[in-house]
Amino acid sequence: MTYLIVSSKLGVVGDLYTPAEGINVEALLFGGFIVEQSTPKTKKSAKTNTEPNEE
Amino acid sequence: MATSTYLSNPLVTVNAVDMTDQCSSANLTRVIEALESTSFGKTARVYVAGLENSTLTLTMYNSFAASETYATLAALVGTSTTVKIKPTSAATSATNPESTLTGCYLETLPIVNAALGSLDTIDLVFTGGVYSVAVA
Repeated sequence: MTYLIVSSKLGVVGDLYTPAEGINVEALLFGGFIVEQSTPKTKKSAKTNTEPNEE
Repeated sequence: MATSTYLSNPLVTVNAVDMTDQCSSANLTRVIEALESTSFGKTARVYVAGLENSTLTLTMYNSFAASETYATLAALVGTSTTVKIKPTSAATSATNPESTLTGCYLETLPIVNAALGSLDTIDLVFTGGVYSVAVA
């Protein structure tokens, strides 16, 4: 899980946040200091439905 | 006579959040519990070092605004965290050492301490944890 800083009281807003030892990450999330960064999902290739040739 | 002037202006972080602008008093005391080892034949009590049990006591202005006191502390009560303090906001050095309590416990959190005509201030005590000091 990666986190983004959203409060300048924690660091530079927009930077990735790596918790140091002993840091309570849940409290930072609760307080709105960081947000979870969703990892981009790899897109599946589009399905191509081929209609059966009924000729 | 003091050989240097030190105006209290420490940098305080609680759970990595800079709380300096809400803090008006900070008192870090390193405590290593004394275990008595006096035996028969001694004429004075003697002690050996026990477990370390340091404390950091902070006085803070209470604020319910975003990213301020309550937002920082609300989810910390009853848990362990890391607090840091150094004499000034200058770079950490031998003359500006940064003290850290890693894994210290916040037992109580005053929610409101209101009095007519006064700012709401709260006292916090972080207990225990591993003490370390950085000089670079």
